[in-house]
Amino acid sequence: MQLDIKDITKNYKMGTEIVAALRGVSVNLLKNEYMAIMGPSGSGKSTLMNIIGCLDTPSAGSYLLEGADVSKMDDDQLAEIRNQKIGFVFQTFNLIPRADVFHNVELPMVYSGLSSSKRKKLAEEAIEKVGLTDRMKHKPSELSGGQRQRVAIARALVNNPSIILADEPTGNLDSSTGAEIMSVLDQLHQAGNTIILVTHENDIAEHANRVIKLKDGLVESDELNHKHFAA
Amino acid sequence: MKSLHEIKESFSIAYGAVKANKVRGMLTTLGIIIGIVAVVTTMTAANGLGNRFKESISVIGSDVLYVSRTPWVFSGNFFQFRNRNQLTLKDGEKLERQLQEAKAVNPRTYSNQNLKYRSTVLENVTIIGTTENHVLVSAGAPQYGRFIIDNDVQYKKQVCVIGWEIKDRLFKDVDPINKKIKIGRNHFLVVGVMEKLGSAGFFGGPNFDRQVMVPISTLMKCFGGRNRNFDIVVKAPSTEALYDFEYSVIGEMRKIRKLAPTDENDFSINKMDTLMAAYNNVMGVVILIGLVITSISLFVGGIGVMNIMFVSVTERTREIGIRKAIGAKRRSILIQFLFESSSICLIGGLIGLIMSIGVTQIINAFLLPASISPGIVIIAIIISVMVGVVSGIIPAYRASKLNPIEALRYE
Repeated sequence: MQLDIKDITKNYKMGTEIVAALRGVSVNLLKNEYMAIMGPSGSGKSTLMNIIGCLDTPSAGSYLLEGADVSKMDDDQLAEIRNQKIGFVFQTFNLIPRADVFHNVELPMVYSGLSSSKRKKLAEEAIEKVGLTDRMKHKPSELSGGQRQRVAIARALVNNPSIILADEPTGNLDSSTGAEIMSVLDQLHQAGNTIILVTHENDIAEHANRVIKLKDGLVESDELNHKHFAA
Repeated sequence: MKSLHEIKESFSIAYGAVKANKVRGMLTTLGIIIGIVAVVTTMTAANGLGNRFKESISVIGSDVLYVSRTPWVFSGNFFQFRNRNQLTLKDGEKLERQLQEAKAVNPRTYSNQNLKYRSTVLENVTIIGTTENHVLVSAGAPQYGRFIIDNDVQYKKQVCVIGWEIKDRLFKDVDPINKKIKIGRNHFLVVGVMEKLGSAGFFGGPNFDRQVMVPISTLMKCFGGRNRNFDIVVKAPSTEALYDFEYSVIGEMRKIRKLAPTDENDFSINKMDTLMAAYNNVMGVVILIGLVITSISLFVGGIGVMNIMFVSVTERTREIGIRKAIGAKRRSILIQFLFESSSICLIGGLIGLIMSIGVTQIINAFLLPASISPGIVIIAIIISVMVGVVSGIIPAYRASKLNPIEALRYE
């Protein structure tokens, strides 16, 4: 099992009030699954994504990522898990503006301590996978939105993570560029990667072969995407 | 290995950050530059003063002891020395006889007199009555003519050797050798001119170039021999042996002065070190105060850096979030910002050092023999990096503690 979440809750303190964002969510995920998490705002979708992405820890419940319990880890251990096992793709790309494409993609490997020759080789491979070899020395500001998101995908891929976590990856893109990015993700899935997609758009969610819907901090539905299996 | 990569990364980030905000970086650096220039200049000026002082008292010689009635430097009441007996010429003769290991013994006595050559008068000049051994114990040799010889002393000849300044003032362009000058009411023949020796007058010490040397016997004949006080100048076998030598001198002097074992010494041993120690005592405090005052400017510069680092952290909150999301640990972020603040300060420090070299040249040309020693360079570099670390630590710590979720959301 790639990911096993059991009965996690997450409470936030808002002033004196305690708000429950997740109220007992259980999800598990197999290797090479392609899952979409959907839900309206306030459903706990972002909270769940943050916990899956090891940016946050649950208030209660357990979260095993490739057998390791990440729910009780401290900040630095979580940083290492994020570095090794999670690849983030954000709605707003979140590239480092002063660094060029190559350096942005190389960065996760800097933090994992790879030698510069290895970093060069792996970064170039990842950049080639998203088709930006000729843009290697460009700054993010010199790229289009779609190209920026490709850089982000290359960066997410480069440490060969257990899960690629894409949070509204097409949210800031026009529909044709969005489709392009989705096809990159589809290809990655086909190549054996495990992908979690967080979205509120049905036609984006349809790329996944499993869709989880959240509502008020609980799992409302967890269904396979029949369209995929029918085809 | 891992940290090495992070340090390299931190360095390139710091470089990029400074480059991206050139004007801001320059203004921030300016504070450090001014601070370093102030501190370094104070240190070099202090060094220069020290050098000047050392130079000026080097005439005394580091292996020479002056046995005198009173110490050169003392704390407390002068009256404690008032009842001491004069040191006599006999004491000197006895010491010379008994102190076998001494390289040379030279008794001296002093008088202040007016000098006159033709119509030029110099008032209140130190006249030193001395022997041929003078040149063995003290630095300096005659530039022109000769020094006093045994024969002069034996026959109380009215000859004199004049200091450089005396030559300049009294004779100007005239060759002074074999000219007659008046010391007090007595005529003396100038037989020699001492080379330029320098002056400690800057520190209220003696001016070695404004002296006239005459045979000790002649001085006593012309200016009175009764109740006269003498200094006995003795030269140790070597500078290293000075410490032991001082003990033998004290021992012999106690015998000569017939002191009982319980009596305190009724004479004083003076040496160059005593002056140096006194100088260091006084100047140490002055320099310390100077450094404290100039450090304040460096401190203000450091506050400027801290301020800019807080701005830098806030500006890059989102970047910190991104770095954390892709696996930067707290330590990496901390190092990144510490590197940035240290780089700003190091650059400031280096520029400050270069400017200090210029300031030192000016001091050197017009005031003091000042120079920037390698020690000062190293200290300045260490100080500037330290200022960087100290002023960067709080902003860097704050950055390292940022919550990645909130940081990523920051606009």
